[in-house]
Amino acid sequence: MHVSINTTDPRPIYVQIMDEVRRALVVGTLRSEDPLPSVRQLAADLRLNPNTVAQAYRELEREGVVYVRRGQGTFVAEQASPAQERGALARDVAARALLDAHRHGLGAEELVEAIRVTAALPHNRNGGTE
Amino acid sequence: MTVAVIDPPRTATVPTRLAEGAFAVATHGLVKRYKRETALGGVDLQVPEGAVYVLAGANGAGKSTLLRTLMNMERPDEGRAEVLGLEPRRAGARVRAQIGYVPEGTEAGYRWMKVGRLIEHQALYFPTWDHEYAARLSRVLEIRPERALGHLSKGQTRRVQLLLALAHRPRLLLLDEPTDGLDPVARDEVLSLLAEHLADTGCTVLISTHLVNEVDRVADHVGVLRAGRLVVQTSREEMHRMLRAYRAEGPDGWVGPAEVPGVVLRRTGVGRDQRWIVWGEERAVAERIGGSGGVVRDAAPLGLDEAVVALLRWKETT
Repeated sequence: MHVSINTTDPRPIYVQIMDEVRRALVVGTLRSEDPLPSVRQLAADLRLNPNTVAQAYRELEREGVVYVRRGQGTFVAEQASPAQERGALARDVAARALLDAHRHGLGAEELVEAIRVTAALPHNRNGGTE
Repeated sequence: MTVAVIDPPRTATVPTRLAEGAFAVATHGLVKRYKRETALGGVDLQVPEGAVYVLAGANGAGKSTLLRTLMNMERPDEGRAEVLGLEPRRAGARVRAQIGYVPEGTEAGYRWMKVGRLIEHQALYFPTWDHEYAARLSRVLEIRPERALGHLSKGQTRRVQLLLALAHRPRLLLLDEPTDGLDPVARDEVLSLLAEHLADTGCTVLISTHLVNEVDRVADHVGVLRAGRLVVQTSREEMHRMLRAYRAEGPDGWVGPAEVPGVVLRRTGVGRDQRWIVWGEERAVAERIGGSGGVVRDAAPLGLDEAVVALLRWKETT
């Protein structure tokens, strides 16, 4: 799993980490029973405060996405369902897009329509049909 | 006619004190004067135990003086400090024994002394010196023990100072511009080492810097020192929630509400496009702007750098 964090993103860093874990579940780079990097490792790799990483892991644990095996680390829970995460992730992406649309003076309908048109363009090979 | 009952707006203020808790460092009305210059004008610094506290401010704002006071290398004219439960003025040596300190300058010791000698010398002073860790730091920071201190560049001296500060696994790190003089790769390496060190020790860190972007990812508390006074002192989380840039537009001639429920740090407007940087509850501020006839397009939190700049430029009117 590769985690990327952006300090100019309006989401707090711990939320970005949670979203990255969800993204890894959805794209399949993380599967159930896979270990997450240790707090120390991820903090060092991303130059983050370890408390921030621990906070993200705690929240993910509370949501049932991961679980802690004492002395062994944090693992992806069996019940973590990519399908469910997919829905949650899609809503997050939609919320961000809507916010951006609003910033540009665009309404939800306009945005949805523009997404359809853009997705249908020939050079958009992943045309929204993952 | 209906009369709406509206709650009186809660006026937010920019916080300069944290909620009570366990502090690794606390100062009370610290004042330091140099002849007619006031370096510290009554500072109540509060660094919670286990926090990574970033002390920001312009050059000459008093950051280094404050750190030196905590080390008892500087005596305050008024007020007092508590560091790890001790008073530096009375127990300077015991305080320093528990602190890893990277000083402002890059004079690490005698110019003729070899780096290796200095490290061995320092190791004898600290019973908690971790030889294995020191060796690893030496490798990662590419320290050359055979060099004389006087022949080191600024960046090389900084690396030695960082090793000396970290290797005894202190309970408190006081880092005065720790990445000063380091090239971008070394800076990155130091930040990674720091994150690792935090995960291993859970120690408290007070970093003074004017390059806050570098430490944005590790900081969980922020203080901004301006002309010897703290203009803000808060958690990063609180700042993220409360300090936002609002953008709104309205009809011709619209300039927004007369006042907003919060502290306006900056106010700019170009035509019908109005922008505020406000410390306040997002909903209340956005509602007030919206209620005055504008459409709020954005209420974005500020990056640490932008936040510090806004706070430093803020002209308090009260």
